[in-house]
Amino acid sequence: MFSMAWRETRGGWRHFVYFFVCIAVGVSALVGVSLFAAHVEHAVSRQAKSLLGGDLEIRSSHPLSAESRTVLETLDERGIHRTHVSELVAMAARPTPGVTSVQATQIVELKAVESDYPLYGTLNVEPAAPLQRLLSLEPSRCAMVPCHGAVVQEALMLRMGLAIGDRIKIGTAEFLITGLVRTEPDRMANAFSLGPRVIISAAGLKASALVQPGSRVRERELLQLPSGTPLEPLRSELRGRLAADHVRVSGYRDAQPQLKQFLEQLSRYLGLIGLTALFIGGLGVAMSVHAFMQEKLKSIAILKTLGADSSLLIRVYVVQAVGLGLVGSVAGMLLGVVLQRVLPPLLAGGFVTDLLDQVGASTDLSMASVGPLFKGGVLGLLTTLLFSLWPLLQVRNISPAAIFRREVDPHSGLAVYRQTWGMPVGMHDRVSLITGGMILCGLAVLSVWQAGSWRVGGWYIGGLLLAIIVLIGSSRVLVSALRVMPKPASIRLRYAIGNVLRPGGHASGILVAIGMSAMIILTVSLVEQALLRQVNETRPVDAPTFFFIDLQPDQTASFAKLISERLAGRMPELTPLVRSRLHAVNGEEVKVDEERGQDERRDENKEERRKQWYLSREYVLTFLDQLPKGNEIVRGSWWQAGQRFATPQVSIEEEAAHSLGLHIGSHLDLDIQGATIRAEVSSIRKVDWGNFSTNFYMILSPGSLDGAPLTYVATIRVDPDQEVSLQQAVVAAFPNVSAIHVGDVLRNFANVLDRLALAIRAVAVFCLVAGGLVMAAALAATRYRRLYESVILKAVGATRGLIASTFAAEYALLGFIGGIMAVGVSSALSWLVLTHIFDLSWSLHPVVLSTGLACTVLLTLCVGFLSTFRILGQRPLAILRHE
Amino acid sequence: MIAVQHLSMRLTAGGRPVTILDDVTLEIPSKQTVAVMGPSGSGKSTLLGLMAGLDRPSSGSITLDGTEITSLSESRMAQFRRAKIGYIFQSFHLIPTLTALENVLVPLELAGLSSARTQAIELLQTVGLGHRIDHYPVQLSGGEQQRVAVARAFACRPPILLADEPTGNLDSLTGRVIMDLVLALHRDYGTTLVLVTHDPAIATLMHRVIALRDGRIESDDILPGTSAHRESAP
Repeated sequence: MFSMAWRETRGGWRHFVYFFVCIAVGVSALVGVSLFAAHVEHAVSRQAKSLLGGDLEIRSSHPLSAESRTVLETLDERGIHRTHVSELVAMAARPTPGVTSVQATQIVELKAVESDYPLYGTLNVEPAAPLQRLLSLEPSRCAMVPCHGAVVQEALMLRMGLAIGDRIKIGTAEFLITGLVRTEPDRMANAFSLGPRVIISAAGLKASALVQPGSRVRERELLQLPSGTPLEPLRSELRGRLAADHVRVSGYRDAQPQLKQFLEQLSRYLGLIGLTALFIGGLGVAMSVHAFMQEKLKSIAILKTLGADSSLLIRVYVVQAVGLGLVGSVAGMLLGVVLQRVLPPLLAGGFVTDLLDQVGASTDLSMASVGPLFKGGVLGLLTTLLFSLWPLLQVRNISPAAIFRREVDPHSGLAVYRQTWGMPVGMHDRVSLITGGMILCGLAVLSVWQAGSWRVGGWYIGGLLLAIIVLIGSSRVLVSALRVMPKPASIRLRYAIGNVLRPGGHASGILVAIGMSAMIILTVSLVEQALLRQVNETRPVDAPTFFFIDLQPDQTASFAKLISERLAGRMPELTPLVRSRLHAVNGEEVKVDEERGQDERRDENKEERRKQWYLSREYVLTFLDQLPKGNEIVRGSWWQAGQRFATPQVSIEEEAAHSLGLHIGSHLDLDIQGATIRAEVSSIRKVDWGNFSTNFYMILSPGSLDGAPLTYVATIRVDPDQEVSLQQAVVAAFPNVSAIHVGDVLRNFANVLDRLALAIRAVAVFCLVAGGLVMAAALAATRYRRLYESVILKAVGATRGLIASTFAAEYALLGFIGGIMAVGVSSALSWLVLTHIFDLSWSLHPVVLSTGLACTVLLTLCVGFLSTFRILGQRPLAILRHE
Repeated sequence: MIAVQHLSMRLTAGGRPVTILDDVTLEIPSKQTVAVMGPSGSGKSTLLGLMAGLDRPSSGSITLDGTEITSLSESRMAQFRRAKIGYIFQSFHLIPTLTALENVLVPLELAGLSSARTQAIELLQTVGLGHRIDHYPVQLSGGEQQRVAVARAFACRPPILLADEPTGNLDSLTGRVIMDLVLALHRDYGTTLVLVTHDPAIATLMHRVIALRDGRIESDDILPGTSAHRESAP
């Protein structure tokens, strides 16, 4: 059997080149993605302690109470080493704003550390001096005045035109830039940040006077346990003893849950796109096997007359297919290894490379590579098997009489034999049905395996099937439209249409493959465009330019005065804020169960997870006289202006009210930094979150927050030419206030989106390559017939140019139909994704769609030309004589 | 007139050089009918194919109606063929995806004739297939397919008709019908006809019989008959 399979393979190598390449391309996409993911994940787990910054991290959004500090001090006696880190957003300014060509102020992400930071991992600074020395207070550092040192990210120096040795002002203190920070162990090279990093000492932070009551600061206490000390008991103990401060205690094993989740999601979806490339390649496999079978009709018929039965023959061909699949998979695995080395640099400048640098992930093969390689190989092999099984079933339908009948109808292929084959119709259908069902199940299992989740895998295979059905359906409709259309006058077009319409021309297969690959790329682009548009264009014309945060109550009057002076009497919109947590709902104390791991949480239903999210999150509260813009009362009523209540009233956002089970008259106990207030729900609001204004889940009635540590946020809209001077003036007058520029934030976000889309597109290109290969395989299958017809045309006087343009018209037509299908399906798909996942409105993108269409036509033209240009040079005589 | 001078065709088969035509020289005056005979492998079909410009000879020249065709570019040759040569194959070689009518239309359309369709229908009527113009090749018998091929070869009224064993794949009765058709067209339009055949009965219908053996002309005989034959005698 094996030698028979080998003999057959040797004879049909032309078909098998495509077979092999299709599988190799699919497998390489899969292996490339999963190797990359595995290496990053491996590195992330290895670096878990430095990513968290310690064995345990205690995190809170406000300075810890005296009681909690005492608890922490007792830890020292147990040999537990600890260090404190504060993180906040602040403004950096040039002390002498003289140079006008560069920015004088810049928002920064400030990090204040103690001398023993970091506990794990290394902080990469230049020059490579001890951090303590770089940050220390030196008596005559700043022009004979004592000041602290600061190490900053290069971006800050570039934007503000600073160099090492220059001074910057942060808060009320001046700092000398003593070095550059390259990477930090416990800050992911976040794709998104408000500004460049500045690291100063805890003493420096104190000197800056930035931290004031109500300021937005992330306080982190990092703990290093003596070796051998179990982590969990201490974690539970601290959680209990620090409960009053609403801290979050994390162990290094659950470090960076967002990062892990992000990587997991990214590699999952990239993996599924890779799997799509493999499945499209599978189509090429099916097509090659089909073409091979067509060629083998006669030999199979002869073998049958010699006594070979169908099952033996199918076994021979299955062995052959699996062998080829194995070779293709191994080649794909090798290609994948190359790919994952090439891919990250391809996305250079993107977050992927930053991330790799950060966690020190290597692209060298290690034990972590075995899994992805193996999985890719097995997926390739199984896909081969599943996709070749269906065309191989034809073997059963070939009757020995085929030897004679071939003369009668050489071009209608197997259809004739199928109908004349003696097997009862029901039986034949049952075998096909069962096999078809098995193949489908097989594909579903592969999808679930790759996705690593029943749900995602199920959605994927369901979506894929639906897309295939829609693509096949629309290709049929469009092709029949060609059939009934009046024949065009141009001879080239008429031949081209004839070629597309001919039976056995694989038009359907080509169209599905082309349509599918173009659809994936187009959908990614459409969704990206819609998101970008959402970010850039839907901003209302009166959206604020700046959010000034952390204004102290006693600064509001002078702040308003400054704004009004500079902006011809315009007043900023000032909103009071205070942060709080839910203490009790309707008298029932909120218990946030932090013990449960991620996996457990995933199993809960969405509703329950949402409720937990609403219960455990921090709420920014405000009190307002008037119902803010973009808010609409759906139940209850807003308070009258000037009205005062014995029990504070609260207006709740609709979704939050629903998840927390709140109604009009319900009671909420809110913990505002230690003090609890009880409020009664008096109205429920619908909020337009996209209105670029300050929006709140909870708004209290005026007077409810008297005495609470309030800060203010001011929003203001200014003309672009006044932005810089206003920001400088505010920073100079109010060093503790940070200016968040809405445009910058949106640009940052668009940047991140762009990089993500690039990564997705890079993998989606493999679908395109696979689609092109399927077309090439289909053209290879019809190569002989094309050659034959082209030489007949030459014999009756057609020039090479005419034949070439006929081919071109045919490929362009295929590309056009495939492209139209892709445009239609991707529009529908992007609509589905945008309206159901992102809750955004969908709109037509003529530019993206027409570019997609044009590129698809170009692709089919190129593939077609490359596959068939050699036919054009053939001389007729030899071919016609041997026909 | 067809003038063939020192025509040779050498190929390599299995790594060894094979001579298919060896220094063949002959002249065929206009309106003459010639049968080319000889055993398999003697070079008959190659000679015919080279005359139609379907391949290039290794050496020698072929002049058709005053044009030396071996030096023509591929497209010029195609255009020349379209205007001057009709070619009939033993195995018909119709384009399977086109109907009978469309097959006949191909050369007419290539020539850019506006009345192509009417002419093609007339031609099919002439060959007796007026009722089957919309049938595909697979739906036609061998004889019918060859009739379509004859109509196609004659579509542009070429002055030269080359036929490579036109009846070779047909039974004798059908073969006879095809030959009558080809000869009638020769008579009506004065076409020069060169025909490769194994059938001595068909050869006797021609003015002249050239016999090839091993790529060389073994004999060249004028058959007794009309004056045309004597004129073309060497």
